[in-house]
Parts: sequence; structure tokens; C-alpha cells
Amino acid sequence: MGVKNTDTEYLEELEKKSIAIIREAKAQFKNPAALWSTGKDSTATIWLCKKAFFGKIPFPVIHIDTGCKFPEIYEFRDRLAKEWSLNLIIAKNEEAIKKGVSPYKDRFECCTLLKTQALRNLLEKEKFDALFLAIRRDEHGIRAKERYYSPRNEEFKWNYKDQPAEMWDLYVKPSEDFSHMRVHPILHWTELNVWQYVKQEKLPINPLYFANNGKRYRSLGCQPCTVPIPSNAKTIDEIVKELKKSKIPERAGRAQDKEKAYMMQKLRSLGYM
Amino acid sequence: MNPKKINLVVIGHKDHGKSTLIGRLLYDSNAIPEQKLRQVEEELKKSGKKVFEFAFLLDSLEEERIGGLTIDIMQTPFKTKKHLYTIIDCPGHKEFIKKMLTGASQADSAILVVSAKEGIQDQTKQHIFLAKTLGISQLTVAINKMDKVNYDEKKFREISKKLEEFLGSLGYEKFPMVPVSAINGDNVFRKSKKMPWYDGLTLVETLDNFTSPSLLPVNKPLRGCVQDVYELEKRSVIISKIETGVLECRKIVVFNPSGEKGSVRKIEMFGQEMRKVGPGHSVGLIVDGVKGIKRGEVVSYLTSPASLVRSFIAELILFSGVEIENGDVLTIRCGTAEKKCRVHTISEKIDPVNLTLQEKSPSVLKEGDVGRVKFVALEPICMEKYSEIPQLGRFAVEGKKGTVAAGIVLKVDVMKEPKEDNAKA
Repeated sequence: MGVKNTDTEYLEELEKKSIAIIREAKAQFKNPAALWSTGKDSTATIWLCKKAFFGKIPFPVIHIDTGCKFPEIYEFRDRLAKEWSLNLIIAKNEEAIKKGVSPYKDRFECCTLLKTQALRNLLEKEKFDALFLAIRRDEHGIRAKERYYSPRNEEFKWNYKDQPAEMWDLYVKPSEDFSHMRVHPILHWTELNVWQYVKQEKLPINPLYFANNGKRYRSLGCQPCTVPIPSNAKTIDEIVKELKKSKIPERAGRAQDKEKAYMMQKLRSLGYM
Repeated sequence: MNPKKINLVVIGHKDHGKSTLIGRLLYDSNAIPEQKLRQVEEELKKSGKKVFEFAFLLDSLEEERIGGLTIDIMQTPFKTKKHLYTIIDCPGHKEFIKKMLTGASQADSAILVVSAKEGIQDQTKQHIFLAKTLGISQLTVAINKMDKVNYDEKKFREISKKLEEFLGSLGYEKFPMVPVSAINGDNVFRKSKKMPWYDGLTLVETLDNFTSPSLLPVNKPLRGCVQDVYELEKRSVIISKIETGVLECRKIVVFNPSGEKGSVRKIEMFGQEMRKVGPGHSVGLIVDGVKGIKRGEVVSYLTSPASLVRSFIAELILFSGVEIENGDVLTIRCGTAEKKCRVHTISEKIDPVNLTLQEKSPSVLKEGDVGRVKFVALEPICMEKYSEIPQLGRFAVEGKKGTVAAGIVLKVDVMKEPKEDNAKA
């Protein structure tokens, strides 16, 4: 499977919209930052930011560290941060980790404290007014309701029932009413598009995505809560082939998405990604 | 592998079956992951429902199931033989006009759903009117709930005729109409056996044949909106988003309202140099001979420069929580510019339901109203007629808490000299 001409054009369409969104946000907000999980989506988003700013991202890149990520993630993170000269900030809720918060006790609490709270603490300290996130509409039903710009209030809550109007490309402006704006540059991309882009741009990818001993990870969460899928896909082309055949959603291996009905919705309304 | 994308908005009166139709389109095209289907089936079993209601598929939010109302716009793509359609669901309830507009504002084409049992209702007309105002010219009509009228041909013809008159009066020329039953699936994807009198195409076939994706406006005059200026190592780069036309290197461009002119030395796009660039691209420009360029300026060629306006007449749609009176000073967002304009005269209030002139020279426009308003620019602003260059012919009115109204420019009064005194107006 080579990347045909029409695919290149298609990706160019996706890319140019993303870049325009990133640049608009930089123009409108005084203190932005980007979230990076080292997964394929956020790595692609960081790459888009690099392109938007002609090589050097003029704001911090945040990694939320729960302390129980795969070792490959830490390795990948540190290496790429150096290579791409990223201004890396690591957000970690040390207090909660010391207290022994764990997914084996209560997954909802664990996600909330180690991820959402860690981010919240950082935001309080640094006062970022905009955060770039790599979420896509096709990932999950709840995310499908998101907009390119999505405000979060002081309590970090997402008021999904009353989202502000987003006419054409006139995105929501900063306001005292919000604590920060979430900006989603790849909202309109599909899982397949991200892989195509990764291949086209030759982006570095976490080895966990590729098969090892008949298994690979389709989505990278924390080690205790992420389940691999049976697969022999060792290259991007093989992954793409597998994706086209499969009807199983990308995040099927992510426990918090399944658990209680609407847990994802509840998590998101409390400020989760 | 990547088919042409079309953004489809589904409009129509409340309870005429929009959500069911969308559910049917997604279900029959296998756009819904198995896991989600199983989830919905389980929910149905728990709630004791016997009929598989497609609207359930779209309700990812728990609260939405109360009253059967969909609360927000959801974007979910489905594929046919020809295209990839992204559906923008439109809630039918009166209170959600803002959300409806936000969805419709991104659409290439619309499916109008009309119940065969109820026929044309208030919101049917309201939605059509708004769609037309927002420039949606491609329209396909689904006359739904045919199962509730015994698949009767007479009913279909009756409603078709009324719609033809109505749509025709608004300037719509081509609008194929298909009799469907979304709940049973008749004529959506598969041809119905219950309507032998209908020898037309199914709804999906109609969409495939009569809908085409929007074309890029490369043949229009050059218009680019300055987003920002980056001071890089040795150069000042003007970040501009090209809206229409094609920008080429070595051509002379003018920035308005500053009036600065210069030659385009380089067009930079993330490490690549381009000789020319078209609509949709955000690029870095190095222009010789200009200084002090700021966000909000519009770049164009001298041969057909952007129109600096003194005043303009617009059709304005008000969202909730806002009132507009003569004399009000509003912040208008057009392209990347944000300028203050004064409401000179509200000449008409239009009833979006009956499409009649509701009131001449009203003193105020309120939430949900549509009006014709003359604005005077208090600061220099570039705008175009919506019918000519829609990208610079549409604007949002910014209130304290975000966008409070949206407008389409019908007429502009262009300043002859760029530095002409605005106060004269």
C-alpha cells in the first residue's frame, strides 16, 4: 500500500485545517500549552504544532505521568522531547500516588486523581489559558460531540449541554468565564488518517503499537488498565490493513471507556480528556 | 481509498423523524461499531422497549433520552458507493436555534425531513429559510413516516406539490423528493416494496446522484486573512489564511485596511517554499516593502483589492440572550478582523416562519429574530457581499459571553479612498 496522490491531497486538506486552527489559537490565547501522551495522535498533533511554528514550538508540552505508564512510553517521551527540542513539563500527582490510589481499588477515582487532578494542579500553577488536545470525533461517542474550541469553566467542567456557537471558522474567544479553552486540531481526522499521516511524515512511533509475541496495543493507556489485542501487524501498512477489516473500536481495550455506562461522559464532564 | 467528503445537515420540524432517519442511514451503511449496537440493544432490553429505535443510537448522552430530545449536534460519518457523508444532526426544538445554526453553517447540503402525516409545519419553513440564508443550495427532501399514511401515493403527491411551491418561491430550483419510512427502512437504502407507484431512486441513491462536494473557490479574487505575525530568526513572517483565489510569489499585494503594498518574496509552508498557494491554506508570507501588518488585515491583489467598507446591509439572525436596537455599538468578527460597528437602522423584522415582513423599522430585534440591518463601520473593516465572496461576507456578532448573532452581508458601501474619513458616514 503506497500513499497515492489522492491520499496525499486528502491528508493535505486535513493538515491545512489543523494548522490554521493551531495558529488561530496561538493568536487568540496568551498562554497556551499542548498535552502529549506520546501516543500516535498526540505525537501527530505535536508535529503539526512544530510545522505551524516553523520548527520550534513556542509553548510547553505537557505529559501527564500517572506513574504507571509503560516503560516504553517514558523512554520514547524523553528521547523525542530531546530530538524535537520540546519544552517538556511533567504533571504528576505525587500526593495521590503516595496515598496509594490505584485502579485496582477504584478506577474512576484513579483516573480522576492521577490524570485530571494532576492536570488541574498544573493549570492552577501555570495558568495556561488554552490546551491543545489530540482527540478525534471518531474515537468515542462522547468525543463526537466536541467542538474545535471547547471551554472549560473554573471547576474544569465541560458544559456539554450548552456549548457556545461556533460559526464557520470563527472560534470561541477567551473569556473570564472560562478557566481555559481546549483546542482540538485533529478533531476531524479518523484513526486511519492518523496512521496515513504518521507514515507520510515518517513520524517516530511508540514500539508498543507494533506486534510483539502475537499482541499489540491499539491505544496506549496506563499499564494496569490497557489490554493488548491479538495481532501480527509489525508495520504501519499491516496495521492499516488490520484496521480496515476490524469493526472493533480503537479504544476497546481501555477499561474506563467500558466500565460503567457513561463513565466516560462523567469523567469528561469533570475535566478528563 | 479516501472518497469525497460531503457535509450534510438534516433539517425539519420536531418529531418528523430526523433522528430516526439519521439512525437508519448510519445503521444500514454499517457506520456503527458492533460494540455500540450491542450496547444499545442491552439498554433497550433493560428499558423493556420492543422496537429498536434508531434515535437511541445517536444519544450518547444519558440525559438526552428524557423526552426523546437530542440536545446537541453530533457528527458521524457514513459511506455510500460514491461519497463519505458527515451528518450534522439538527435538533428540531425552537430553543435550539443557535445549535442548529452552528451545525448548518458547516454544511454543503441539506436533507429536509417532512412527515407525510403532518405535512409542512412551522419549523419546516423556518429551517428551510435559515438554510437558504446560510447559502445551502443543495437540498434533498425525504417525505417520511409513509408507514403512518399507509404508503399512500396521494399523500406524497399532495405534500410534494406544496413543497414545490414553497421551495420554488425561495429560489430553490432542484430538490428531489423521496417517499421514505425511516423506521422501517423503506426507500432509505433499499427500494421499498410497499410503494410500487414510486419509480424514483432511494434516498441514498438520490444523495449520491444529486449532491456534490463544495468546490474550492480558486477562481474568485484573492482574499487572505492575516492571523498573526511571527518574528522568526531573521525574518518577519506574516501568517495568512487564504480564503479565496490563488496567491503567487513575486506578485504585488495590498493589505487592508492599512493600505501597505509590497511584493511577495516568499510563501513559506512548514519548511517548504511554495510558488503559489490556494484556498484553505494557512501560510507564512515574506513581503518586501510592508511594515506594521497586524492580525485582522486582508491581503489581496491590487487589481481586485478587498473592499474597505463604510457601511453595509446585512441579514441578521439573533441567538439567545441578546437584544439589538438602533444606535447599538457591536463587535463584528469577520475573517480574523474584529471591529466595532454601529447599528444605523433596523429596516425590517422578518418572520422566519411565514417569511413575511413582520415589522417595518422595528425599534428592537430580540432573541430568535431575523432582521435586515444597516451597519456603519466605526473602524475600517473589509467585507464582501455574501453572494460574491461568502468567506468575507459572513460575520459573527460578539457579546460578552461569546457569539450572540450571525449575519450575511447583502450590500456594501465601499470607501473610494482607503484613508477616507469614516466619521462622514
